[in-house]
Amino acid sequence: MKRRRSIVTSGPRARSPYAGEPRLGLRAPRNRAGGVPGTPGAPETTAGTPAPGRAAGSGPSGYARVPGGAPSPVTGSNGMPVAGPVPGIAGAAVDLSVDLAPKRPGGLVLQNPVLVASGTFGYGIEYGEVVDVQRLGAICCKGTTLKPRAGNPPPRVTETPGGMLNSIGLQNPGVDAVIERYAPLWAGWQVPVLVNVAGESIDDYVGVAQRLDGVPGVAGIELNISCPNVGKGGLQFAVDRDAAAAVTAAVRRATDLPLLVKLSPNVTDIRPIARAIEDAGADAITAINTLSGIAIDRGTGRPLLGNVYGGLSGPAIRPVGLRIVYEVAQVVSIPVVAIGGISTLDDALDYLAAGAIAVQVGTAIFADPEVPLRLVDELRAYCAARGLSSHLPLVGTALPARPGRPSAKGVEYRP
Amino acid sequence: MRLLDAELVETREILPRQWLQRYRAPWLAAGARAGQFVHVRTPDYSGLVLRRPISINTVDRVAGEITLHFRIAGKGTELLARARPGDTVPMLGPLGRPFEVDPRTHHVLLIAGGLGVAGVRFLVDESLEAGRQVTLLFGAATAGDVYPSTLLPDEVEYVVATEDGSLGQPGRVTDLLPAYEAWADQAFACGPYPMLSALASLAAGRQARLGVARLGRKRGTGRPVPPGSPQARRRSWLQVSMEQHMGCAVGACLGCVVWGVEGPLRVCREGPVFAAEEIAWEEPA
Repeated sequence: MKRRRSIVTSGPRARSPYAGEPRLGLRAPRNRAGGVPGTPGAPETTAGTPAPGRAAGSGPSGYARVPGGAPSPVTGSNGMPVAGPVPGIAGAAVDLSVDLAPKRPGGLVLQNPVLVASGTFGYGIEYGEVVDVQRLGAICCKGTTLKPRAGNPPPRVTETPGGMLNSIGLQNPGVDAVIERYAPLWAGWQVPVLVNVAGESIDDYVGVAQRLDGVPGVAGIELNISCPNVGKGGLQFAVDRDAAAAVTAAVRRATDLPLLVKLSPNVTDIRPIARAIEDAGADAITAINTLSGIAIDRGTGRPLLGNVYGGLSGPAIRPVGLRIVYEVAQVVSIPVVAIGGISTLDDALDYLAAGAIAVQVGTAIFADPEVPLRLVDELRAYCAARGLSSHLPLVGTALPARPGRPSAKGVEYRP
Repeated sequence: MRLLDAELVETREILPRQWLQRYRAPWLAAGARAGQFVHVRTPDYSGLVLRRPISINTVDRVAGEITLHFRIAGKGTELLARARPGDTVPMLGPLGRPFEVDPRTHHVLLIAGGLGVAGVRFLVDESLEAGRQVTLLFGAATAGDVYPSTLLPDEVEYVVATEDGSLGQPGRVTDLLPAYEAWADQAFACGPYPMLSALASLAAGRQARLGVARLGRKRGTGRPVPPGSPQARRRSWLQVSMEQHMGCAVGACLGCVVWGVEGPLRVCREGPVFAAEEIAWEEPA
């Protein structure tokens, strides 16, 4: 079983990415009530557990079910048919790893394509008692700014039909405190942590990036140029092509860390912005951040949120996210990480088809913290059942053929 | 903190649109303390994205059961009220920090406004178990909303105030406080924000009015205790249990903050119980 290893996997922790032992800094994941070992929700305990046994009957979607005993046209990773009546290929043989920074080899290789979204998972320790965070693809930490920020006045969250509004306002202790408090912990983790960077000016972004550069435990930067909840900064960079390119280029010059840029849906046309960000040196693009919205308190007749405006997330924004991923994936050649209302395998598969190489789970974690790990298990079982050794063949199936690419046939028959 | 499935044993409407539900959840019953809450996901979850934070109302450690008392305030609680015995309800808990009772406290004053009784009800049992005397001041708009005394242990002194005067003392529950502030060694309150705010301003002037010695060590001896620590809260005369719109309930999303004197405080992690001095109270509008 050949497997690429992430560079953050270091020293004594360099073990199979699927081993589920407790790790430094976190309590051992206790067996949750109702989580019988062997069910998809429970942590894997052996690296070699074949998927079909685990996959049977897993999840609400029927995809994870393996056709029992029916021989299927299965080929191994070398293209040779696998001998024997194997129903699909073993889950352990499915390599879900993704490279989010292909331009810097080994820079950011994730063990699986399921990340947790910034702002929904704190700094990775808050859910440590109920989720085995080491099995995640990566963690995007809470938006981090140069100086500490107190955030917006409460109330900050409210539920809306099929979604929720939040207006946290980038409350965080500042980059220096984040490096001091959390980076030493992250350095001992197997799961890479991407620091979500926000700011009011290009200098702010550069300052945070410079401080994060070379800090052990920081696997990369997710540039948040699209926070809709702060008065100044944030969104203004995401809606303007030149400003987005300028801030991306400035951060690119300041650090060698893998650089993801998170796009806003609150724009007229995302494509020129995405292209400009790619040209400015981003390693990958994350789409989408929340949609700007408001809610009214029916009791008082006034805006409900303390900040008036909030960002809409959850299943309600999934069609918008799909559209933007679909558009971005057509115009850039760097990886696209999808985010927006993902809570089931079907949602993730939709985004993969729309051109995303990996997905982030956000709001769904609040209702069920086990969603990200369940997605990993279900995606592995899904690939295994279809004889895929990776999820990459599922990526971009919905995209139209790129225009302007000369076909081999055309070249061959040129007069 | 743990993710678990609680089995609904009994459900009934004790007051108009207020439900009392008994769940079998041995792990919660064994570990929960007064003031803590659970984050509940309703059995039917279509169209919802958030769990609902609900105070742990009472605990039966022997039977391994807890009760929850909630009001139908929206779609989520409506769906929860529709759950039938035998249904399993996913819960995350116990969450938050409990009430901190000073070991020397003998007279416990509880102040509840409306549904706020659910926040302090567990402390009634805990205090009686510890041999303390308990007085519960309860305020409601009208007699129809008054918490039934049959649901309280006999040892509790139960004083009711209604705003329209239809039962008990006419007026607000905060008007009852002056009569009890000298008797009480510590007070614990849960209710709407204006009530807690009014109590906090009353409590701030209590020491000056009564001229009583402060609980705790004399000033200048030992190290100062950081505000918000259990030690500091134990010395506070008034502790309040607060509520806020909540997202994750584990401290990750920073959605459920209230403003404290030193900046935002997460209700789910630093709270829901706070010492009254920790909160930056706004004047009631």
